[in-house]
Amino acid sequence: MHNNNEARPDSEVQTVHHIALNEEVESFKASPDISVLVAMERAGQRLIPVGCRGGGCGKCRIRIVQGEYFSKRMSRAWISPEQEAEGTVLACRVFARSDLVIEPDPPEIGTSCHAADQSGQ
Amino acid sequence: MKKGVMRPGHVQIRVLDMDEALKHYVDLLGLIEMDRDDQGRVYLKGWTEVDKYSVVLREADRAGMDFMGFKCVSEEALDELHKGLTEFGCEVEVVPEGELKDCGRRLRFQAPSGHSFELYATKKQTGKWGLSNRNPEAWPRGLQGMKATRFDHCLLYGTDLDRTLELFRDVLGFDLAEQVLTPDGKRVAQFLTVSMKAHDVAFIDHPEPGMFHHASFFLDTWEDVLRAADLISMTDTSIDIGPTRHGLTHGKTIYFFDPSGNRTEVFCGGDYHYPDHEPVTWDAGELGKAIFYHDRQLNERFLTALT
Ligand code: FES
Ligand SMILES: [Fe+2]
Repeated sequence: MHNNNEARPDSEVQTVHHIALNEEVESFKASPDISVLVAMERAGQRLIPVGCRGGGCGKCRIRIVQGEYFSKRMSRAWISPEQEAEGTVLACRVFARSDLVIEPDPPEIGTSCHAADQSGQ
Repeated sequence: MKKGVMRPGHVQIRVLDMDEALKHYVDLLGLIEMDRDDQGRVYLKGWTEVDKYSVVLREADRAGMDFMGFKCVSEEALDELHKGLTEFGCEVEVVPEGELKDCGRRLRFQAPSGHSFELYATKKQTGKWGLSNRNPEAWPRGLQGMKATRFDHCLLYGTDLDRTLELFRDVLGFDLAEQVLTPDGKRVAQFLTVSMKAHDVAFIDHPEPGMFHHASFFLDTWEDVLRAADLISMTDTSIDIGPTRHGLTHGKTIYFFDPSGNRTEVFCGGDYHYPDHEPVTWDAGELGKAIFYHDRQLNERFLTALT
């Protein structure tokens, strides 16, 4: 017997990690199967800027100061191999493997939309 | 004045992981896989498209757009366009026939915006997917996800909009259908068409050249856009904004991201354009409404999340 209700076991026990921002008291919880960025969004926090959530736009760049993590492929436009080795990552492509201490490191993205300036937004 | 450029023909998009990308473009968006090549590129199309493919995915270490190609009416027109491009000052690379499967020679050049474009006249036609050209049924069975009907346009962020407009208007035969002007008359957005559609390609002024904002796919109805929104939630796909309506072109739309961070749009409706129409102008002060007609507010991510 198989119905769709059984497709998602809801009682899986998972270790939840704490992600804390350097020099601030705020922190949020992240289970290992969702990215640090999405975990932050689900916790209703705004410590890291959110863009594409796919490792392409660079907006969510952070430095991992402390802790273990797993990362998926990230666009080389924003993370060089050296940066990657030093723990600079895109939060939407990393998954916590322990508690983490992080620091936002958003790249300069020129928002020329001069138009945006003009409209006073 | 028309110069023999007919329509958007293809876009090659870089993805970080091909398997993830195919879940997005095939399972969710509903494009159809038509072929693969020995470079590992995957060729896709919307079901109403007559040519063999319109989207080419290439796995790479950074996201973004490799190039957008326009199909032209004939090989002779292509020769004329080659001259025009050279006179304009573009360096033209002739990509040999077969570099993309079942596609003739392509003329590749860079626009002042920093983006690579191509012109070509020949591509294998396999016909609409799942339908005969003779007494065709309304639609084919077996479509997936959002059932995107066709690749429609790209929106690109880059430099030197004025010179880019000159290239597209004077050399390639596009019209300026819509624009956004600042109070001192600077054009910060331009929507260009080579057909009756409100845009076949659009540009927004940006300090960095060659950035990709989105590739867009056409759906028939607002109901289809709402259904697309349901599918985005069902699959936990990264959402940008929508469903909503644009002021510019008045299309009804939703934006979301592929798993490599490239933005995808599906939309329906929108204004039409004939060559005798004056361009429609939005004032930069009304940009919020121009972009998101209902929210009337700019969304920072929409302006700055680019690949
Ligand atoms: S949000 Fe775009 S790279 Fe992470
Ligand atoms: Fe669009």
